[in-house]
Amino acid sequence: MTIKTYIRSILLAALVALSLAGFMVHSRIHLMAQNPSFIVPFVAGILSIVVIPALFWFKRTLAYGYVLNGFLCIIGTVTMSHFAIARWSAPNSPPDILLKSMILDILILWGKFFVGKALFELETFGYDPNRPKAGITYRYPNMGWWLIHLAAVSFVYYLGNRLWS
Amino acid sequence: MNQFKWFTRNWWILHIVAVTFFFWLGHAIHF
Repeated sequence: MTIKTYIRSILLAALVALSLAGFMVHSRIHLMAQNPSFIVPFVAGILSIVVIPALFWFKRTLAYGYVLNGFLCIIGTVTMSHFAIARWSAPNSPPDILLKSMILDILILWGKFFVGKALFELETFGYDPNRPKAGITYRYPNMGWWLIHLAAVSFVYYLGNRLWS
Repeated sequence: MNQFKWFTRNWWILHIVAVTFFFWLGHAIHF
């Protein structure tokens, strides 16, 4: 086994572990019978556990895994923020907003995003320690591109929620 | 990115599909 395969396996294990944890937390606290919207974390969980690691495993489908992983994180961020705002109950003081809102869950989700990003960067651009980081921030596959898409998805989702009811 | 050749050429199709999907998702989800 090469170091490359070894590190790829470690990152994939981290990705699956985080996805499994997320899937289990969702299935424990959201019963699909209560609200059909809870089908979203169920489907996202299945995709994250089975489909995304498979896409990441093959060089040919690596970029699709990266994009799917990123967009599932964006969907999770938007829907969990929506959930937190719609069911805003106890958190009022700043520490409560940090500890009792959905920020915590969203941060864990972004942990999964960054594991996927590390996997993508290492597979795409290699393991050369002296290679300088290239590319424009707001272009694919860099972080600015993801932030633009997070903002755009939030906006379109918000419009759908407000205008079409 | 070579893997997205079809998507980069037809980026507008992808964006119409994506915008429709996220607009629908915002409509469909109610907490």
